[in-house]
Amino acid sequence: MLSRVAERFYWMARNIERAENTARLLNAYNLLILDLPRGVGLSWSQLVDIGGSQDIFASRYRSANQRNVLAFMLSELDNPGSIITCVSMARENVRTTRDIMPSEGFEQVNELLLFVRRRLASRTPHSNTYDFLAEIVQRCQGITGLLAGTMSHDAAYQFVRLGRNLERADMTTRILDVGSATLIASDSELTRLENRLWTWLLRALSAHQMYRQTVRRQVSGPVAAGYLLHDVMFPRAVLHTLGEIRACLKVLPRNTTTLRTLRRAERRVRDVDIHAVFPDTFHALIDDIQLDLGDIHSRIHRTWFEPVSRG
Amino acid sequence: MRIDWKQYDPGKLYDELIGAAGQPRPAARVLANYLKSLSDQQLARRQRAAELAIAEMGITFTVYSEGENIDRAWPFDIIPRVIALKEWQAIEAGLKQRITALNLFIDDIYNDRRIIKDKVFPKAMLAGSKNYLPQCQGVSPRFGVWAHICGSDLVRDGDGTVYVLEDNLRVPSGVSYMIQNRSVAKRVFPELFRRQTILPVDDYPAALFDMLAALSPRPLDYPEIVVLTPGVYNSAYFEHAYLAQQMGAELVQGDDLVVGSDDCVYMRTIDGLQRVDVIYRRVNDDFIDPEAFREDSMLGCRGLLRAWRAGNVALANAPGCGVADDKMVYTYVPDFIRYYLDQDPILPNVPSYRCNDPGEREYVLANLKDLVVKPANESGGYGMLVGPQSTLKEREKFARLVQRRPRNYIAQPALSLSTAPTVVGRHLEPRHLDLRPFILSSGTTYVTAGGLTRVALRKGSLVVNSSQGGGSKDTWVLDSRGKR
Repeated sequence: MLSRVAERFYWMARNIERAENTARLLNAYNLLILDLPRGVGLSWSQLVDIGGSQDIFASRYRSANQRNVLAFMLSELDNPGSIITCVSMARENVRTTRDIMPSEGFEQVNELLLFVRRRLASRTPHSNTYDFLAEIVQRCQGITGLLAGTMSHDAAYQFVRLGRNLERADMTTRILDVGSATLIASDSELTRLENRLWTWLLRALSAHQMYRQTVRRQVSGPVAAGYLLHDVMFPRAVLHTLGEIRACLKVLPRNTTTLRTLRRAERRVRDVDIHAVFPDTFHALIDDIQLDLGDIHSRIHRTWFEPVSRG
Repeated sequence: MRIDWKQYDPGKLYDELIGAAGQPRPAARVLANYLKSLSDQQLARRQRAAELAIAEMGITFTVYSEGENIDRAWPFDIIPRVIALKEWQAIEAGLKQRITALNLFIDDIYNDRRIIKDKVFPKAMLAGSKNYLPQCQGVSPRFGVWAHICGSDLVRDGDGTVYVLEDNLRVPSGVSYMIQNRSVAKRVFPELFRRQTILPVDDYPAALFDMLAALSPRPLDYPEIVVLTPGVYNSAYFEHAYLAQQMGAELVQGDDLVVGSDDCVYMRTIDGLQRVDVIYRRVNDDFIDPEAFREDSMLGCRGLLRAWRAGNVALANAPGCGVADDKMVYTYVPDFIRYYLDQDPILPNVPSYRCNDPGEREYVLANLKDLVVKPANESGGYGMLVGPQSTLKEREKFARLVQRRPRNYIAQPALSLSTAPTVVGRHLEPRHLDLRPFILSSGTTYVTAGGLTRVALRKGSLVVNSSQGGGSKDTWVLDSRGKR
């Protein structure tokens, strides 16, 4: 299998997953805002921080109000994490692998882009944003399911799975980081609302219901964070996504160094005692896990997308 | 209303299906009688069904226009063109003879140059040839074959003679459409395929694969064969993807390939660098290797020519083979056949005037109104003067061009291309057409059964190029020995 094709499949999956995660995040945030008392020190800029694109935002907008942040996250072409950017890139990835991608896969990604463009152009009134975002989530999941059900689960599919799971792990850690930010916040009002905030974080990952079923305890910082890191059954928990990545790597050729990098990341997550790091070194832990994820990506890139040239 | 062949009037032109007084030619009799049994509505319905099938199968070609690439449905006319097997066999023999002589010529030019020493071909011709590549001097590709894939354009004149109009030796395209046309025709007229023996055309991808495999520099059971495409923006990308898929070969772009310090070509795969043995390249000479040719090319692979010269990879077609794909060189092909093969040409050239010859140039300049003037190195029907349809101003412009660069122009009498019945609305009208068979050469030579028939859909037009309003038809080589 050509490296170029593998790389495009990987990025297609990452972009679709990212669009889905961003849509879910925005919807959860909208709901949270409705629940919070007025004047609480939570701001929309938190969403920009999660995406890690503060600089681009600052160069575009003066204030981080709801309208600006939503525009930035939905339709800003210069924001690499905006929904329109992710979906456009995914569409370009499938267009250039049409000879290998199942044709329904191409069609659904193509239709997703047309849908997003159409809705963004129509200046959706605020009340409909929920439906719009919910439909994006649904369509992205449709694409993921379609590929799982129609592609041979060969090397090409492993790259789709790799991209999806790495992106999931990435989003889960970003969201955990929001939790860690509030831990060190001095705003007493915010601290009082900690449980409500962690409930929101779980919702932003569609994890609340599964948390309830599995943990059966009230939502609290350390327990929720532990769940999102350690649970091996929940598909968006970090340890689960790393397990999926390991399964993909195992069937790919020349996997030794990438597997080694992965095991290091798995060990770090598995061995951590959440009550020991909470709250003081939690942020540092998340930073380390994110660096591990970055290493896994670089290894994948170097091993399969960019084999050393003999020149 | 049903079709009445007596009402169908090709005038003085030669019609491929209908002879004098509305009588179908022998090979077209079953088809013509069958068409007569259809009502106008049935005919129109079948044409629509064919167009729907083409849209569903996603058979497209790309047109570059106004800064945008547009994917268009492939234009197809359901009425096939029929050729009797016996006539086809003579054409096939002529094409084989021609490609053999052309390959001998190319190999000679890049090696001993006997033909120049023997004064059959003037050396000055090379100096003016845009497609002659000095970098290829001294290379001997396997079997002495340079042009592995050739698409020759054939036309029939008013008296029924079939001429070779040109030989496309660089990156000829269209063969996938020939195969697709057949699959659509089988859906439209299944009963005619049952009733007659029509030679199949879908063995082409297998023949192409076998030909390419024979070129492998390593004796392997499974040589690594790739199709090199300029990418999704190329007008023939559909064909590149189709042929790769049919042959089970990788479809690669320039940056998927890398030439190692061992002068071997590798492709970047998830298993690491993997050696490539044969490249069916659909990228023009200029762009295949920035190290050897255009430095600004993003489509090729640095060092490709070096690897090819070292004999570590086969390129089809070989670089530099375009030296024989030059309208001026074309005028010498009958001489090549006599010189290299000691045979008379089976298929004639269209009579041509060389503008670099003072006497012939004088004749051309005096008779521009009756001639077609063609540049030596263009393809796709661009940059031509069609005398009978030209304005005085255009003729004056061409007179200046010819005088300034006589080596760059040839002229030919305007032929009255043959016609075939073509669906226009709800009935049939004659439209001009040509034929492009494809010839594969390695140790052996293979010719497609028929080829791609292109038809000028505009009334009276002679331009068959799909980028300029041309369409296509299925081509039937009919074996009438023994009935089914």
